[in-house]
Amino acid sequence: MKAGDMDIKHSSPATIPDQPPGIIDKLVAFLDERVGLKEMQAKMLNEPIPGGSRWAYVFGSVLLFIFAMQALTGMLLMFYYVPTADHAYDSTQYIIHEVDYGWFLLSYHFWGSSAMVVCVFAHMSQVFLWGAYKKPRELLWLVGLALFGIVITFGFTGYLLPWDQRAFWATLVGVEILDKAPLVGDFIARFLKGGPTPGQMTLSRFFVLHVMILPAALMALAGLHIFLFRVAAPAGPFKGTVEEIKAKTDYFFPRQIWKDIVGMAFVFVGICALALWEPVVLLDKATPDPGDYHPEPEWYFLFYFQLLRLKLFAGQFGQFLGAVALPVAFMVLLVALPFMDKDPERNIFKRPIALISWIAIMVVIALFTVAAVINREFLD
Amino acid sequence: MLQPKLKSKVRCTDLDIGEVTKVVLDPLSHEISHIVVSMNGSGERQVAMGHVQAVTDDFVQLRAASTDILALPSFKRDDYVTTHEVEISHLEDNLHVTPGEVLVPLPDLEKNVKRRTFFMNFTHVIGFLIGLPLAYPILRFLMKPMYAEFDNQWLKVGNVSKIKQEDVGVQFKYKKKVKEVFMPEYEIEKNVWILRATPELLEKVYSDKDQEFRDAKGKTIWTNKKDVPYVAFSGKCPHLGCGFKWRQHKALGQVFLCPCHLSIYDAGGKVLDGPAPRGLDALPVRVAANGEVEIIDMEFKAGTKSQVRIV
Repeated sequence: MKAGDMDIKHSSPATIPDQPPGIIDKLVAFLDERVGLKEMQAKMLNEPIPGGSRWAYVFGSVLLFIFAMQALTGMLLMFYYVPTADHAYDSTQYIIHEVDYGWFLLSYHFWGSSAMVVCVFAHMSQVFLWGAYKKPRELLWLVGLALFGIVITFGFTGYLLPWDQRAFWATLVGVEILDKAPLVGDFIARFLKGGPTPGQMTLSRFFVLHVMILPAALMALAGLHIFLFRVAAPAGPFKGTVEEIKAKTDYFFPRQIWKDIVGMAFVFVGICALALWEPVVLLDKATPDPGDYHPEPEWYFLFYFQLLRLKLFAGQFGQFLGAVALPVAFMVLLVALPFMDKDPERNIFKRPIALISWIAIMVVIALFTVAAVINREFLD
Repeated sequence: MLQPKLKSKVRCTDLDIGEVTKVVLDPLSHEISHIVVSMNGSGERQVAMGHVQAVTDDFVQLRAASTDILALPSFKRDDYVTTHEVEISHLEDNLHVTPGEVLVPLPDLEKNVKRRTFFMNFTHVIGFLIGLPLAYPILRFLMKPMYAEFDNQWLKVGNVSKIKQEDVGVQFKYKKKVKEVFMPEYEIEKNVWILRATPELLEKVYSDKDQEFRDAKGKTIWTNKKDVPYVAFSGKCPHLGCGFKWRQHKALGQVFLCPCHLSIYDAGGKVLDGPAPRGLDALPVRVAANGEVEIIDMEFKAGTKSQVRIV
């Protein structure tokens, strides 16, 4: 798509007037005749946004952008990265210290994953608070939850690949948590580890998951997510009469796309800044002895890590509660949400249970994250 | 009331003014909100459905006089997009303006095919016949390294002369050769904590009973005698598998502390605090006359009350 096409459209979205045909116009006409580009473009851009475009709606597009950048930087990293226990660490160090701009691409990929988690979190919170998961958007919500799972698994599998102490121990504990699932836990843990203890097979398996299986799954599900979104149409604001909303309605292009692209630029600059100021530094190469290193997961798992330190989750049964029952119950609640909550009311200020639950979850996450950080001091 | 159809004649209270050239849909209700009428050559007018009194198969009767309709502003095509150029799902679902059905002929070969359902099911069956025989080989393929046999070799880990004090945890590092699938054996670094125990601590660890280690068939591999003063603990925390350390604790004195989830064990491996479901895992240990220590490397499932050996 060339910039000119968009410029023409601002006065009237209905027609794409004839230009004196240049070479590019001829090419576009050639393709349009065979593919139906213009109609496709019109359909993609002319999507009514009930109540008008908003900055709050940028997260979906921003997530797509982050994923595209993760795919790009990830592919570049694979040019040098070697997924073996012998070479993973050294090849990652090589990327950081020897390859031109390797430190930047790796750091961008690293901080990009954090940005992904933050935006997924914002996106989900927003859908929850706006009541946008309600009928007829139940399937959209479910596919979104699956995407959430994929993003978390991306973070978990990617974390191991540099094969340093941080990577090794976070993975080891993460897999042990999966091991606690009744009946299938042992199988899943051995399946992921590729044996009874973590080693080369674990690295191979995590690598394949991270660079092949998860990207394919994410692309397929993200496509389905957008398709369902287009079928169901955006939910729009929860306040205002039909007439008010109709009066403010505009199309996806240009105002929302403008906001989306500004959001993407903002996120891009943010990730670049983090990559510049806090570039990735590896710890020692992974060994089954942590030495002076205090194992810890990635920051967005810290609250859960701290939760598992609670007395409530002590002992075999406590561990079942913390490692299996709690996360499964939480996911089941999220899955069941649009089917339990049949009240069409979407205004969050008229849904006290939803509002209180959301605040409670935020408070727990914040408190336990802070507690985990404070706890670090007492370990040395 | 019927929906106005394209090409229907439009009649005002006084006379015919033209025909329906377009219909306009409301994007929210998905109903027809306006018709566009060709004014017999004097441009097009957009007429709200409120003006429509009645609709028959080929007539639209308006409530207004022709002069009123003519007085409406001209229809502005640029203010509209076609249904092909906008993404509003189900917009046309309620629409019946198409004058008649649009048909294409069925190919000759498709006529009189009796067994459509049979062919459909047959397709699925063939699909399953391709997929099912693959499922088991793929599963076995992926499961190859998952259940390795236990290795009960004695491994040298160091000399007890390293232990200066009784009832104090001392870390011994050792290397273990691991054969992973296709790869030549390579060594991984592991660690074990060994104590020279006082009789009181030995009593706590063994409760006056020798500790037997058995293989999967129940055959005894080794027995840790209750009066041998050396105790070895696997370096893996029985909570969630982290590596624990020997640390000074403010209230509890010298303890084994796991930095991950803060499980705390005394020198005898008993849980003092934290989430661990069982005490530290003692390993088979033997000390030669010259002080060389050997252990059998074992790992147990973390997070269970009872010991389940996995390595």
